[in-house]
Amino acid sequence: MVAMTTAPPPVREPAWALSRSAISYWLAEGIVESLFLGLGAAAFLLFVPAADGTPLPVLRWLVPIAVGLYAVVAIGIRPRLRHRVHRWEVTGDAVYTVTGWLSRTWTLVPISRIQTVDVTRGALQQLFGLASVAVLTASSQGTVRVPHLETDIAHRVADDLAHRAEQVRDQAT
Amino acid sequence: MNPEPAGHRTSPRIVLVHTITFRQARQFVPAVIPIAAATGFGGGARTIVALVVGVTLLSLLTAALSWWRFSYADGPTAVVVTRGLLSRSVRTVPNDRIRGVEIEAPPLHRLFGLVRVRVDAAAGAAGKDEEVVIDGVPRAEGERLRPAVLSHRGSPSAVSTADGATTEPDEEVVSRFDPRWLLYAPLVGSYLAVPLAAVGALFRLADELPESLRPDLDGPDLSDGRLLAVAFLVGLLLLAVGAVLGAAVVNWGFRLVRRGGSLIATRGLLTRRHTELEIDRIRGCTVSEGLGMRWVRAARVSALVTGLGDAARRGQLLPLGPRAEAWSLARRLAEDPGPLARHPSAARRRRMVRAVAAGLVVSAAGVVLGALTGSWWLLVVGAVLTLLGVPLGLGRYAALGHATGPGSFTVRSGWLVREQAILQRRAVVGWRVRQSFFQRRQGLATVTACVGAGSGGYTALDMAAGDVAGFALAASERWAGSFTR
Repeated sequence: MVAMTTAPPPVREPAWALSRSAISYWLAEGIVESLFLGLGAAAFLLFVPAADGTPLPVLRWLVPIAVGLYAVVAIGIRPRLRHRVHRWEVTGDAVYTVTGWLSRTWTLVPISRIQTVDVTRGALQQLFGLASVAVLTASSQGTVRVPHLETDIAHRVADDLAHRAEQVRDQAT
Repeated sequence: MNPEPAGHRTSPRIVLVHTITFRQARQFVPAVIPIAAATGFGGGARTIVALVVGVTLLSLLTAALSWWRFSYADGPTAVVVTRGLLSRSVRTVPNDRIRGVEIEAPPLHRLFGLVRVRVDAAAGAAGKDEEVVIDGVPRAEGERLRPAVLSHRGSPSAVSTADGATTEPDEEVVSRFDPRWLLYAPLVGSYLAVPLAAVGALFRLADELPESLRPDLDGPDLSDGRLLAVAFLVGLLLLAVGAVLGAAVVNWGFRLVRRGGSLIATRGLLTRRHTELEIDRIRGCTVSEGLGMRWVRAARVSALVTGLGDAARRGQLLPLGPRAEAWSLARRLAEDPGPLARHPSAARRRRMVRAVAAGLVVSAAGVVLGALTGSWWLLVVGAVLTLLGVPLGLGRYAALGHATGPGSFTVRSGWLVREQAILQRRAVVGWRVRQSFFQRRQGLATVTACVGAGSGGYTALDMAAGDVAGFALAASERWAGSFTR
């Protein structure tokens, strides 16, 4: 966390934070992932016998430790850090986001080049009343995703973007 | 134009072409082989003759059927292709979705005076399905179709007048292939692969031949060093000759012509290909130089065209040629943004660390292995890998660079194939800035210009973090100001 303050970000941060429910979503995600990994580790300890002269006895120690560390990061650190990093903004002529937690990705797409706007609600997202907005352009790499907005905000943003894209749209490629 | 856009048919001569190439019958091969195997090949010559006749008849039948059920129409608003033996499929491609028309004439088609017309209607995502193929129209009809289909959507390219005669707009030869450039081919990876693939196919074939048909050869005597060296040299020579021949077959008589609002590339020794690119959709180009090509100052140029399917092949404007020629062509497509700015020395450190990391890991493993078992070969391998990583890292850093000009910008990277993309400002449909944990500490960032052409994004690796916003603003339109406002 020390390193985060060593240099200013290459570009400015977008203005708006995600919904607080996003933390709960990521928390749930981390718990589910950790549970699955824990089951995998338990199966490993149960079904793989420790034979001497192989690296297996070491692995019997390492695997549970690695899973435990992963659980601590995925549940205790990652959701909050992600929420701190993720930001988004719709400016006068562009959609702007930053995503990530350890490494960061800033994406900027002008409204005039938007081709389609998608709103998706995953099963787990619906539990927390969240939805994601994806803004697609002619470039396979130029896709802006705003994850985990409150559902009504997501729909409002998508409608607004689609409407404005239609008005300012040039060739869009 | 055609008053009634009712269906045209392809030329009946295509039935013969398809019979000979087993075009439709090919799909029955998997079904026929087990049947043939079950009845056995025991009958000798008579069975084989019967089989050949039967397969040919089957091929003729299917070719005739699919010719009979195929029709196309170039109406005022769309190209409609109808086909299918039992289930009819009607495909309608609106004229404003058509991005280009390609005419190709494989050798057999040429013999019968026919061409194959590919209408490209890719929509961003490149997929084979987006293409409509009209196989087997007479050459004159192909020449009529191309401008007719393109002109319907009001493109400035050739326009047909009412009586069917075309008013030829001004035509200018942009570049012409010099056969001497074929000598570069042995230094280009993709052309070297051609003879290697041929050798591989030959070996596979030899393996599948029945034992009795295989010539009885003695294994070569491997004990003589001189013989081995000569064999190696001969092999190398054959490889080079094969590469030159392969390049000649694909690129023979390459010619790039500007006609009206289109660039037309023609090439090929056996199969003549005729690709038309709209200048209005060109967003820039890439100049790529492989490791061997840099050595002899050769390069290749591809145009970046929005919505072009199979862009790697179709976009080629100079398949192989001297660097000077490549750059004069590139400057016609996008203005030269000037000399490249180098990336900061932190970027060199980063490239070096990545290049030697694998070698260092192997070396560390080598030390452990040596300490445990007393055999040090792994450490030697690791040391060699680490040493080899040094020129690799330096080379990768030397390739990095970016520059912006008044109407265009450029980014360069890559070592095995060094690729420089020169793009117009309007090409950018988005920016993506990435910063990893380590890049953040070193004050670097990786910037990708998202483009609706070519590979979809062109990246400036490890740029100084402070330069990112300025570069984005200088290289695209006003909206990129959102990075700083």
